[in-house]
Amino acid sequence: VLKEQKPTVFVVDDDAAVRDSLRLLLKSVGLPVEVFESAQDFLDAERDDRPGCLVLDIRMPGMSGLELQIKLNERHSILPIIFITGHGDVPMAVEAMQAGAVDFIQKPFRDQDLLDRINQALEKDAGSRRMLAERNMIRKRLESLTPREREVLDLVVAGKANKVIAGDLNLSQRTVEIHRARVMEKMEAHSLAHLVRMVLEVERPEE
Amino acid sequence: MASKHNQATRGEAARETRSRQGMEYRALLDAAVDAIIVIDHRGVIQEFSQAAQRVFGYTAGEVIGHNVNVLMPEPYHSEHDGYLGRYMGSRDPHIIGVGREVRAKRKDGSVFPCDLAVGEVQGVDPPRFIGFIRDITERKEAEEQLRRSEAELRLAQELANLGNYVMHSGDDSRDYFSPQLHRILGVRPGDERIARTEFLGKWVHASDRNRVAAEFARMDKGQSALDIEYQVVLRDGTVKHLHHLAQAVFGPDGRVQKYVGTIHDITDRRRAEDEARVLQERLTHFSRLSTMGEMAAGLAHEINQPLSAIATYAQACQRLIRAPEPDIEDVTAALEQINAQALRAGEVIRRLRNFVKNREVKREPVNCARLLEDLRTLAETDARLHNIRLRLDCHEPLPTVYADPIQLQQVVLNLVRNAIDAMAEAPEDRREVVLMTRAAADGEVEVTVADHGTGLAPEATEHLFNPFFTTKASGTGLGLAISRSIVRAHGGRLWHTPNDGCGVRFHFTLPVSPAVTTGE
Repeated sequence: VLKEQKPTVFVVDDDAAVRDSLRLLLKSVGLPVEVFESAQDFLDAERDDRPGCLVLDIRMPGMSGLELQIKLNERHSILPIIFITGHGDVPMAVEAMQAGAVDFIQKPFRDQDLLDRINQALEKDAGSRRMLAERNMIRKRLESLTPREREVLDLVVAGKANKVIAGDLNLSQRTVEIHRARVMEKMEAHSLAHLVRMVLEVERPEE
Repeated sequence: MASKHNQATRGEAARETRSRQGMEYRALLDAAVDAIIVIDHRGVIQEFSQAAQRVFGYTAGEVIGHNVNVLMPEPYHSEHDGYLGRYMGSRDPHIIGVGREVRAKRKDGSVFPCDLAVGEVQGVDPPRFIGFIRDITERKEAEEQLRRSEAELRLAQELANLGNYVMHSGDDSRDYFSPQLHRILGVRPGDERIARTEFLGKWVHASDRNRVAAEFARMDKGQSALDIEYQVVLRDGTVKHLHHLAQAVFGPDGRVQKYVGTIHDITDRRRAEDEARVLQERLTHFSRLSTMGEMAAGLAHEINQPLSAIATYAQACQRLIRAPEPDIEDVTAALEQINAQALRAGEVIRRLRNFVKNREVKREPVNCARLLEDLRTLAETDARLHNIRLRLDCHEPLPTVYADPIQLQQVVLNLVRNAIDAMAEAPEDRREVVLMTRAAADGEVEVTVADHGTGLAPEATEHLFNPFFTTKASGTGLGLAISRSIVRAHGGRLWHTPNDGCGVRFHFTLPVSPAVTTGE
């Protein structure tokens, strides 16, 4: 299930020549690339949350690059964004960075500079996706617990001893030990520390 | 007896005859309109007719027996005896039998002009003279009046630099050319004739000759009065601008009898107009430069786009070529694009240069739809930079207008810039400038620039077209004032209306070129 999909570089630029030259450059280094001539076209496309990164022109008629970034943030997209800027777009670039863009590059640019940024973005995307996948896995395991097992887990993670838990839940210490073993098994935890880390991972508030 | 009787009878008859002749002579004297005065050889008045009494205010009794010189002012009064003496000595007729104009003195001492004719009574010794005197006060006054009118007319013509003439067909001996006309043409009256037949070849500037000849011919055919401006070259090489109005007068046979016309020297006015035009052109150019200045960021962007694409294509090519099996098709396509993009950047620069170049105003047939399409590159860069869409809406077919294309682009660009600035704060779905052009009624083409911006404040509406009025932080305030003067110079109008919903529409019209048919 977690078999890696090949990441795609998505390019959104309203200028046909700039768009096409980027397509050719990325193709020349063997990166899968898909191009869009407007922000709306990109939003409308069926991407099924495929891995990759977004190379985005900051100035476009209609929906600008910045506006697309806001829309993607609203959709909880994790796709890293590299903005392409022209002269004198520094204030916009700053805004983009504050909204979570990976980087920006001023055109005309050296191809290697762009490719380096794309590679960094793809690594970041892969990392994010790995983390997400792990969280999903942890959530699935948590969902497999019975309500009683969940209660025991919460108290274990809170650092309580079996005896205290037995008292709190009005159970025998033996019964608590059995639940605790089932939790470790279902959560595929190597150790108490591992178990705690997994629970904290998913229950940390979203940033 | 009989003879005695006869003698007596003859003597009586002779007396009767003399008496009758005397009465007839009296009646003649008194009936004459002219004053009649008879003097003897010493100048003593013998007869003084009724008309003479009326004219001089003396009764006959008052003057008969007095020297005639009482009727004369100085110097005649003192010299008259001398005249008479000289005549008596030499018998040189001098005044005798010849009319002349002299001055005479009335009883009240007033002096008046009169015509005097003097005859000598033949066959009497010593001689007697008879004088006929006509009071010409009124005629002299009329003449004086005429002389004054002519002087005033001449002065007026001089001041206005306006000459007039009457030229006759065929016989040019009765032609009249006013003194100012001579001055305008740099000719001294009498030195050189200003003949109609030679006028074109001798005076009219070579470049105007055909046009003037055609207008003269139209006048000759009675199709229209002459109303034409042209240049003449004077003998000394001076070039003057003239405005010539004339009318042909036709005889009963339908042929031209004469021409009556005025020629107005408008050289100074034309020179002032030329200077004003040069100033206006400089200001227009300055305004164009400042519009470009406002658009510099957009233009830099527009040139940066193809440069950026060229760099990326070139780098892609290098990588493609280094591949073990280079994809020649991709490389070829990239090279083609590099070429196309370089031309695109060049085109932007060319349009920019055309637009800002200081150049002669040159009118030519212009298709407005094509003009707007040409303008798009320049206008769109600015629009894109401000995240505004530019939409063209041309209702073809459009008649051709006769205009200076760069100045028209300047007007449109100025309006588009204003529209863009007006929409700085407009929400996304309204950020659009629409450029429309269509054939309007009355043989005009109308161009409209519509925005959905903030609209115009009432106080702004009032001063909108005033030079140096601006609502922008960095505006010169010249854009609209100059746009309006450009449109007016092309015979059109520039105005604004509220846009449907919100914003403003600026419209201008241009008259359709009559000489050129629709299309290419």
